[in-house]
Amino acid sequence: MTAATLDPHEHHLTPAGGKGAARRLLLGPGFIRAGWMFCLFGAIGFGLVVGFRWWGGWQPLFDMTPITLVSLLVAGPLGFLAGIGAFDYWTRYAIGSPTRPEDHSGHGARTWHDYFRVNTDHKVIGVQYLVTTIFFFIAGGFLAMLVRVQLARPGNHFFDPQTYNGLFSVHASLMIFLFVIPAFAGLANFVVPLMLGAPDMAFPRLNALSFWLLPIAGIMMLSSFLVPGGAFACGWTGYAPLCSTHQPLGAIFFNQGVQWAGASSIMTALNFLVTIITMRAPGLTFWRLPLLVWANFTTSLLVVIATPFIAGSQFFSMFDHVMHTAFFDPNNGGYPLGYQHIFWFYSHPAVYIMMLPGFGIMSEVISVFSRKPIFGYRLMALSLMAIVVLGFSVWAHHMFTSGMSSWLRVPMMVTTLLIAVPTGIKIFSWIATMWEGKLHFNTPMLFALGFLSMFVIGGLSGVMLGAVPIDIHVTDTYFIVAHLHYVLFGGSVFTIFAGIYYWFPKMTGRMYDERLGKLHFWLTFVGFNLTFFPMHLLGTEGMPRRVADYAPKFADLNMFISLASFGLGASVLVFLYNMITSWKNGPIAPANPWRALTLEWQVSSPPPIFNFDEIPQVVGSPYEYGVPGAQHAILAPSPAHAVEEVAAP
Amino acid sequence: MRRGSIASLLGIGIVSGGIAAAVALAIPWLPVSASKEAGRIDFVFWFVVTICIVIFAVVAAAILYSVVVFRAAPDDDSDGPPIHGHTGLEIAWTIVPTVLVTAIGIVSAIVLSRDDAIAKNAMNVNVTAQQFEWTFSYPEAHNLTSATLMLPRGRETVLHMQSRDVIHAFFVPEFRENEDIVPGLTTTLNVTPTRDGTYPVICNELCGLGHSTMRSTVTVMEPAAFDKWLKGQSKAVTSPSAVTAGAAVFKNNGCAACHTLTAAKATGKVGPDLDKLPAYAQQAKQPLASFVRTSITDPNAYIQPGYPKNVMPQTFGKAIPKQQLDALVTYLINSSK
Repeated sequence: MTAATLDPHEHHLTPAGGKGAARRLLLGPGFIRAGWMFCLFGAIGFGLVVGFRWWGGWQPLFDMTPITLVSLLVAGPLGFLAGIGAFDYWTRYAIGSPTRPEDHSGHGARTWHDYFRVNTDHKVIGVQYLVTTIFFFIAGGFLAMLVRVQLARPGNHFFDPQTYNGLFSVHASLMIFLFVIPAFAGLANFVVPLMLGAPDMAFPRLNALSFWLLPIAGIMMLSSFLVPGGAFACGWTGYAPLCSTHQPLGAIFFNQGVQWAGASSIMTALNFLVTIITMRAPGLTFWRLPLLVWANFTTSLLVVIATPFIAGSQFFSMFDHVMHTAFFDPNNGGYPLGYQHIFWFYSHPAVYIMMLPGFGIMSEVISVFSRKPIFGYRLMALSLMAIVVLGFSVWAHHMFTSGMSSWLRVPMMVTTLLIAVPTGIKIFSWIATMWEGKLHFNTPMLFALGFLSMFVIGGLSGVMLGAVPIDIHVTDTYFIVAHLHYVLFGGSVFTIFAGIYYWFPKMTGRMYDERLGKLHFWLTFVGFNLTFFPMHLLGTEGMPRRVADYAPKFADLNMFISLASFGLGASVLVFLYNMITSWKNGPIAPANPWRALTLEWQVSSPPPIFNFDEIPQVVGSPYEYGVPGAQHAILAPSPAHAVEEVAAP
Repeated sequence: MRRGSIASLLGIGIVSGGIAAAVALAIPWLPVSASKEAGRIDFVFWFVVTICIVIFAVVAAAILYSVVVFRAAPDDDSDGPPIHGHTGLEIAWTIVPTVLVTAIGIVSAIVLSRDDAIAKNAMNVNVTAQQFEWTFSYPEAHNLTSATLMLPRGRETVLHMQSRDVIHAFFVPEFRENEDIVPGLTTTLNVTPTRDGTYPVICNELCGLGHSTMRSTVTVMEPAAFDKWLKGQSKAVTSPSAVTAGAAVFKNNGCAACHTLTAAKATGKVGPDLDKLPAYAQQAKQPLASFVRTSITDPNAYIQPGYPKNVMPQTFGKAIPKQQLDALVTYLINSSK
């Protein structure tokens, strides 16, 4: 890779005087073109709706619901994507203009500006993903704080009921669709190609597009607070017919936001599958793959198979809302439970989409910081596959009390309980990996241990919920809120933090502050347990979830939970401060600060623009700690300053 | 493995299991049990909790022991022993959890089939849920309706539940019973009350802006007291006195859940204040009597400014018999003057 291939890009950045510069600014890919193309496409969408209504003689001509949907939620975002440049290469190809397959002008980051354009470098996209998802994590967390303000005392009226219902609905939607799922995709985007010994993902332009769909989805969900009638307020599950026919305009912001996030998810998963199957370095057989790659392989299978189902459920729900179809409207022959079956056929596998990549991160972190090979490597990989298969056979355990066919409950209970077995195998294997090891408690390891203990509690409460008689009592109560936060916060979020701290040196080339990292861990760990453990008790005593008000007997516990949650919220500030100051001024990171064997640590921090100057030859397992003379791969010595060399003219 | 390490592992396991057991026993986790079904469900609850505590103790002991014993010194750069696995151990921790969860599954399935069985002399109650109120009616007592549920102790009751708009759920924590009420379906729930008292009926499925106010109560009483109540109610609704009958209709149809009316000690805030009915009628430029009647049967005909459309159910016109509706209108006019 030479500087010559980068020339067009350099040229593009060079400010040239006069008309040419102004023309490029207006017509070249970027936020200015994205702005006016958003407006242009939005106007076309507006024209289409009004035109068709005028042609058909429908009254009223200006119906806000279809106009908002077509112009603001579909056409406008497409214009934004076109403007930012996500389709430039494909458009040129489609209309027969000359394209240059070897044109790497959209690759790599030299200044911070390069993070704000369509970039095809998986490392840049990984960072774009992470920063974006952390933004939505903070937004979603802020909404959770507002929820806790309302719930601090019974009889509070800080928010009217519709706004309150909107707060927790948007909170959950952001945390699931804009934080946990894409944060894992971001980490994997950065790490997986490196672990495979590949120069990039299989489809770099698709990769860039899948990132730029995300902010669209997130802004759509957040901005639903601004539309008349308020945000969607039917929970992140959006059950019909409440969400499909009894909600204000905001509901379609959820329906459509999920489509954009889901499309992003599917594109990334396809990309991972092709990358993992076809771009492994020589010698890197499936049984030599790091477990993080296994985890993302299985997750991507889940995403590709399951996500179209939620897309379908949201389309039908939206059609009921906008076009007055009756998929889920019982007054006209619709079937409300149909929505739940389709929705959970995605959304239960989605629980594993939010869990398996974290399992992968845990395997890396625990093995490296215990200085021992992963215990039972093959069973670890096979249990991931078992979870994928079983994960598709348990969806109706969310519906034990939904009024569905009652015979379905026992088989779904059996599969639900059985899925605890492969999950248990993983937990026991991680503990066996630590056994007799040499444990180093750096921040990633602390979060890994926090994950282990919290996920055990979440898993056991999951077994309780799997037993139908217990579920009948505690379903839709705060016990569920406690369980899902132990799994998704104590589980997923802890692993995301572990992953961010673990790969921070590789991503930024600088070390984070270890003391602040540990402080962040302890504040999070303690705040998390004080916030969510008492919710188990609220639930078994019968406090329903998703209520703006509750019986006075729950007052003390709720006040306690609210206070604890504000502490938990504040702990994120420590994390942000650490990340920002360390990225700017942290000590320069060595190539391999953790003495890890996997491939990403065998190149410089941050890695060279095309990752490996020479394709590595994999010769063994990635976890041979303690085996004298063992090697995972043979690499030609990588020049540590590859980035600077490439950038020099 | 050294003998000393087994002893200390066991010690940590007993301590952490003991702490978990103490948390389980010292805190009153479950509300009082007021039905036969609740007793069985509580058995499953504690059966599973016991298994969970044992597993938790094992895992906690192994983690804590590792953290303390296998901690590396800061300057120790050596690696641990290269142990890649142990087939026997891996088989064990696949088989043992499988056996445990199978046991949980069997116990649960047995309890489920017992709770689902319906006795021959079961009483039927129809439950109607709508945003944001409950109506209970007794098909075996001339379809008498009530806004609160009254049940005789010791007799199995089958609730036949229907929704008029969105999905709701019937939940009584003391009965450990919970089932969704889905528009277009009739779902059922069996309950055999065993303990006198008044317990909350909670809507447990998000049903819109008034979800957290969609509450009623269930009162379990002596069978004799229950029969007396049924007779008294039938009499009140058909009372020649419009005030007595109207007050009963107001109460039975759950108007108090959303409206304020001083005469009925109602303090709901979701809908307009019924003490101000004459003023509203003036604003709507309609005579009071027809205004009140239309507002019940066709609530969207006039919407008082400051309140949203489509919140009040549009089904009362059909649900309330004419004679009772007349009594309700008279009662509202008299009470708001």
